[in-house]
Amino acid sequence: MTNSPFSIPLVHNAIDIMTPFLLAGIGGLFTELAGMLNIALEGLILTGAFFSIVFAAATGNLFLGILLGLLCAMALAYMFGAITLYMRANVFITGLATNLFASGFTIVLAYHLFKTKGVIQFPGIPKLPALVVPPLLQRIPVVGDILFGHNVIIYVTWAIVLLSALVIYRTPFGLRLRGTGLNAKTIVSLGLNPRRYQLAGILISGLTCGLAGAMLSVELAAFVPEISSGRGWIALVAIYLGNKTPWGIFVASFVFGMAESISNYAQGSIRVPVEFILALPYVFTVVAMILYSIFRYVRSSRG
Amino acid sequence: MPYLEMKGITKLYPNHLRANDGIDFSLEKNEIHAIVGENGAGKTTLMKILYGLEQLDAGSIMLSGKNVTIHGPLDANRLGIGMVHQHFKLIPEFSVAENVVLGIEPRKNVLFMDRNAAVQRISEVIASHGFNIDPRARVLTLTVGQMQQVEIVKMLYRNVDLLILDEPTSVLTEQEIHKLFETLRSLQKDGKTCIIITHKLQEVMEISDRVTVMRKGKVIAVRRTAEVDKAELARLMVGRSVLFQIERAKNACGSAVLELVNVTLKQRGRDRALLDAVNLTVRSCEIVGVAGVSGNGLGELEDVVAGLRRITSGRILHNGEDIAGLAPATLRERGLAYVPADRLRRGASLQSTVTENMIVTSHHRFLRAGFLKGGKIKQFAERLTKSFSIDGGPRVPVGTLSGGNIQKVILARELATASNLVIVAEPTWGLDVASSQFVYEKILEMRKAGAGILFISSNLDELLGIADAIAVMYRGRVVAFLSNVKGLSKERIGEYMLGLRDDFAPPRTQKKDEPA
Amino acid sequence: MNERRKFGEVLTGLTGLTLTLLLSFCLVIGLIFILSRTPLRTIYFFFVGAFTNRYYLGNMLNVAVPLVFTGLGISIAFKASVFNLGGEGQIYAGGLAATAVCLAMPAANGFLGGLSALAGAAVLSGAIAGVSGFFRMKWNTDEMISSFLLSSAVVLAANYFITGPLGDPKNNLLATLAVGPQYGLARIFPPSKLNISAFFAMAAALMVFFFMYKSRAGYEMRMCGLNREFSRYGGINVSKYLVLPMIMSGALHGLGGGLMVLGTYGATIEGYSFGMGWNGIAVALIAKNNPLGLIPAAFLFAYLDAGAKAAMLNSDVTFEIAAIAQSFIFYFVTAQALYGFARKRRRA
Repeated sequence: MTNSPFSIPLVHNAIDIMTPFLLAGIGGLFTELAGMLNIALEGLILTGAFFSIVFAAATGNLFLGILLGLLCAMALAYMFGAITLYMRANVFITGLATNLFASGFTIVLAYHLFKTKGVIQFPGIPKLPALVVPPLLQRIPVVGDILFGHNVIIYVTWAIVLLSALVIYRTPFGLRLRGTGLNAKTIVSLGLNPRRYQLAGILISGLTCGLAGAMLSVELAAFVPEISSGRGWIALVAIYLGNKTPWGIFVASFVFGMAESISNYAQGSIRVPVEFILALPYVFTVVAMILYSIFRYVRSSRG
Repeated sequence: MPYLEMKGITKLYPNHLRANDGIDFSLEKNEIHAIVGENGAGKTTLMKILYGLEQLDAGSIMLSGKNVTIHGPLDANRLGIGMVHQHFKLIPEFSVAENVVLGIEPRKNVLFMDRNAAVQRISEVIASHGFNIDPRARVLTLTVGQMQQVEIVKMLYRNVDLLILDEPTSVLTEQEIHKLFETLRSLQKDGKTCIIITHKLQEVMEISDRVTVMRKGKVIAVRRTAEVDKAELARLMVGRSVLFQIERAKNACGSAVLELVNVTLKQRGRDRALLDAVNLTVRSCEIVGVAGVSGNGLGELEDVVAGLRRITSGRILHNGEDIAGLAPATLRERGLAYVPADRLRRGASLQSTVTENMIVTSHHRFLRAGFLKGGKIKQFAERLTKSFSIDGGPRVPVGTLSGGNIQKVILARELATASNLVIVAEPTWGLDVASSQFVYEKILEMRKAGAGILFISSNLDELLGIADAIAVMYRGRVVAFLSNVKGLSKERIGEYMLGLRDDFAPPRTQKKDEPA
Repeated sequence: MNERRKFGEVLTGLTGLTLTLLLSFCLVIGLIFILSRTPLRTIYFFFVGAFTNRYYLGNMLNVAVPLVFTGLGISIAFKASVFNLGGEGQIYAGGLAATAVCLAMPAANGFLGGLSALAGAAVLSGAIAGVSGFFRMKWNTDEMISSFLLSSAVVLAANYFITGPLGDPKNNLLATLAVGPQYGLARIFPPSKLNISAFFAMAAALMVFFFMYKSRAGYEMRMCGLNREFSRYGGINVSKYLVLPMIMSGALHGLGGGLMVLGTYGATIEGYSFGMGWNGIAVALIAKNNPLGLIPAAFLFAYLDAGAKAAMLNSDVTFEIAAIAQSFIFYFVTAQALYGFARKRRRA
């Protein structure tokens, strides 16, 4: 955050806050497009958060730690995907199992390694580097404050979003992925195997969620149990609200980021209880769902 | 040497149905070959085996003299075989180009698709066949005829030499059918070979060079199209089996139990009405048969009379009162019994017991303060199980019973309470002789008791044997109502069924040989 | 002949379940060996510890009680092929509703007041679930997602009340004020917290069993769950059974929450019921949606819970091992039970 007179702390913070939603959402998007419900985002974020910081502290290297954390999240994602697709288990229940497993496993491991179930501080961890830009750029009114001065993961996220959009819409993989979700029978009739694409989607979500978790814990230089605290679910809502497109998810994540930024700012000064503000996205989604089904119902019954 | 030779092809389905029974099929290069047969003859199964969507249980396939194994569509494509399915395998939200290249996308570099190359190549294919499709347009914006063209382009893009088309004209308009035939002829000129599965004899005569007739999983005959006519094809298709006359006294007690008055059923997105101004009357003590090829309105007729589908216009009268739009429960209260064609999904709950299936329409009669009287229900089920000789007893899950026994459960349920109007649809489909006889006996009992019976069936033998009058449906319309069943021949009914005759043709002249 | 077939089915079902449990337990044992310096001691306490004294044993049975209720709630919905995923919010809000009713009548008769509190819990939670059912019936809105979203919102709203208007300032605002002592349910196995709600649980299981298999509505509901087209053809009012099962499911969850508050906690503590909703799903799956089978299934989960507690108190592992064990069971139980669930999900 700069000290420029034109800075808007609310928006700047919103961008920081929205990044985990965005990362998890983009990863989840790949699974959604392949036609699989993925509620394991929570667990994947948590896994990434824990292992990133633990490995970073163990190796002394921030980026190596994050990389290993990502791999751990992807490993969990693989377990989730393999059991669901190849043992043909129910995807919702295995998603729940994944969240439960991550939650339990991180605490058990934390206790085993650090003898505590509470917050684990890692004071030696280097801070996430921020992108260095000439102060002149940062002084640009409004835009400068919004765009610059964030840590590097945020810019990586934007790159990921862009790359995802390209992959989804311009590569054969993306085409087949979307085809699997839209009409798996057609995919089969062309001699392709839909499960490969579904598994790929799950692994990608492991990657992005792992990064989201990594950002959360590394920023704090600590691991807080249940640090994912609902972000995975909000990412799901963002996917739904964003109409399953990268841009839509970006906007929805921004809205949620703003909501949380505002509520952080407003706690104590605005009379609406914070819980109600936090509940808004859920209520909003339900209303949107209902309106959408009314729309669909009316359209199909006409004639 | 024939281009394609399939020898001894056999395919068994889990319920022991022989979809293909030792079939020999041969194809000459560069011909257009039609495979005809009624529903359930096994035509589609045979072609699915050729395209790799099904695996054969016995037999061999030889292409250009070489033995080949086809495990899936990719193998088929590699051998130059393509298929245009009856139910399109397209993704409506994707563009034409995306649908065509899915699976074999051209690449610009390692990562990205080369959309322009795809569009260009597809445009070439489209242009060379005179299609009118924009490769970038989304498939859901296309007409049905254009969607089929996309399926064809999809195959031509993969450089197929042999193209299979499964019932390609069932959803097309006249002009679209015309266009399709032009395309097939142009493909033939390009050196390609085509197989067309159809039950429409007019089309067979118009487009094919040779025709193979199939019935009940076997090949009945192979002819050069020039050497047969429709009548002979019809005869080959429906077969010549012994007409059995069921002993019955002819009577019609009089009053009309069911009357359909100008009943029309339209569906959004379909040009042709599913039911088109249908007029039909069933009297008490009378069995009115309804014949037709599936897809011509029989199923819809069943649905609307049983109250499971709302008609667009017209009236349905039961004993003089309009019942259109009433709930199924109400209809049953009024004395309607219904034995549906879809035995396994609509007529029964396979995971429930025989008893639970039997009481679905009558359980409200076995109540005590909201709870079911277990004892009485047990008695009821046991009585019916015995009188209908249902194997396995009242406590087995219906799904474990044979087809014949499942039908008995349904009959037992429907005929247990006195009814004045009975609708039966395809009641003996898949049943053996003994079970079929049983069904006929029960229906005749109902008739004797005074019920009016609407008997919908694609089995002409049984209609001729049991019905007092036969209505024939074609393309949603009643094209014949034949009261003199005794002198009727299957060929004559066949002609009505296949659209070659029409007693109720609208004032616009309809030539007898107009494409079906 | 059909008796043997039925036995065979039960046997394969049990075998599948046994395999699931065996696999999960083996994995947990493996984990204990890796993590604990005294693995054998830990294993002993994990698997046997719950039975070693009245305190552990009673508390274990007490934990099973709300699981029976949420399991019943889920079973009813599953049998009708509607999917109530809002259990977490429904049980949480139920306890809060019961608390609110009791707080509103600080001096009323214990028995009547308690009954009204439980009724309030059932009504509120039934209504919450019923909303999802209603929209499913009217406009085919997916009740699985809508019930889940509503439940998440309800949990947040309930937290507001717990830490705010109804909060107990002496308790760091993490719980509501305590309800009057006359509303507490009698303890039956001191020093544990086991109380008469255990009897309610057994009664509820029996009642739901009778409802499902002996009543007209239960029959119609099950037929709708198995094959809606068939039910409609047979004259059953299919729309009714898109809403009613949801309401009943919610009511059962609410009752479970109310009983937890009145029987165990005496107030609504923040997060007191977290996990009960999700575990209810697993319990229902293990019991194959049979109300009588829920009792042993709930017992199994409570056993894992208690084992972990005992291991934690007497050895060097942490309580969350139970969560890991539960997650394994979750992972594998539907690999077997998939057949039933997936077919139902395909819009019976």
